[in-house]
Amino acid sequence: MNWLRKVLVSSIGKKVQMGISGLLLCGFLVAHLGGNLLLFVPDGGKAYNEYAHALHTQKLLLPVAEIGLVVLFAWHLLLALTTNKDNADARPVGYALQCSKQEPGPIAKPASSVMMATGAVVFLFLILHLADFRFELRNHGSEGEEPFAKAARLLKDPITCVGYIIGTLVLGYHVLHGFQSAFQSLGLNHPKYTPLIKQASFAFAILVGAGFASLPLWFGMISRH
Amino acid sequence: MTAKLNLTLKVWRQVHAKAKGEFKTYKVHDISPDMSFLEMLDELNNELIRKGEEPVAFDHDCREGICGTCGMMINGQAHGPERLTTTCQLHMRKFKNGDTIVIEPWRARAFPVLRDLVVDRGSFDRIQQAGGYTSINVGNAPDGNSVPIPKTQADPAFASATCLGCGACVAACKNASAMLFVGAKVSQFALLPQGQPERAQRALSMVAQMDEEAFGNCTNTYECEAACPVGISVDNIARLNREYIRASVCSNVMP
Repeated sequence: MNWLRKVLVSSIGKKVQMGISGLLLCGFLVAHLGGNLLLFVPDGGKAYNEYAHALHTQKLLLPVAEIGLVVLFAWHLLLALTTNKDNADARPVGYALQCSKQEPGPIAKPASSVMMATGAVVFLFLILHLADFRFELRNHGSEGEEPFAKAARLLKDPITCVGYIIGTLVLGYHVLHGFQSAFQSLGLNHPKYTPLIKQASFAFAILVGAGFASLPLWFGMISRH
Repeated sequence: MTAKLNLTLKVWRQVHAKAKGEFKTYKVHDISPDMSFLEMLDELNNELIRKGEEPVAFDHDCREGICGTCGMMINGQAHGPERLTTTCQLHMRKFKNGDTIVIEPWRARAFPVLRDLVVDRGSFDRIQQAGGYTSINVGNAPDGNSVPIPKTQADPAFASATCLGCGACVAACKNASAMLFVGAKVSQFALLPQGQPERAQRALSMVAQMDEEAFGNCTNTYECEAACPVGISVDNIARLNREYIRASVCSNVMP
């Protein structure tokens, strides 16, 4: 199995794993967003409560899914840190001046050049999110609080509200590059499909950024729930 | 006739590989806008020699954009501000009178500076030697059309083969990655029938050597494609990824 180890630690092997882990995490984002958007169903939180209870009664599947997600996140993060170190080592002496030769885009720093920075912001957001919702370290609710009431209460916290809006918008910018870049890393480019993948990546980034950010925006700043 | 240019140059000076380098500022006067960038450096060197100073060392050979020997960072851009242009084909008319131009060597651990603007690109040679060839004895050149290759296949192979090996892709990449170079050198054979017998071994060996030389990883930023003087496409990087995965997972060749 020595060949497998060599492939996995090679530069291309690491980028392939980065792409696969990133796409799997994108899959998780879709499922998570789907559940979260139930908060907007105008039935006083019934649909969201039923969804949350159905999820939490999965006594076997839920821990497996949680461990799977932790492994997936850790894997993605570890690959980012190791490849980033390789990349820093590859140019020990930097340039006095370095300018892009690419056509300037609408945003000064293209998503591809700030993946570590956006990833770090998403990581901090994730810690805040888990502390709030999973472990309830900051704002304790009353016993027997319904999931909808809990979400609405937590999102009213000003730190949570602002942190979530920033975190989810940055996450959108992260997947804007990440989604389409994964296909390139997996060698999946094609004159017909690559333009579609790039457009899909843009649409996905908008969906993730706007979709998740709409929740703290609505419950934290607009709604009187 | 267009007006002559007076320019300020900030040039990286380094006596030898181990020495500590620094920027030195020089003034050049009456530069013709029709000169190439290298001719402008020749003028600077003539002036330095007249004054009894050491001329600036820089790599150059054909001076017609086909050998890939020249190359330097000009105002932070590999081969200067023009796209699809080598340093030797960059005209001074792209600059304005009174401009300050910062000139640095390629920066990468795999391209150590030998002197001033000259770097050692032996790492590219070693990647080529690891598999960038066909070793099968096919006898004399076959008759034309006896190995039919569709034009739709020959054209991309030729486009990949135009890579000069100048190193601008590595120099421009924020990670000093050599993926565009290796992608082109693997592609030029992977696309042709003559390259098939050693296809898997070639991809594995060249990538292993690339990693050995401590180039960075590709983050699909595509700065390489923009900096490439012959317009090698990042499709070559996707193909290299595909070739490497195919060779690793599907072939019986051991990496």
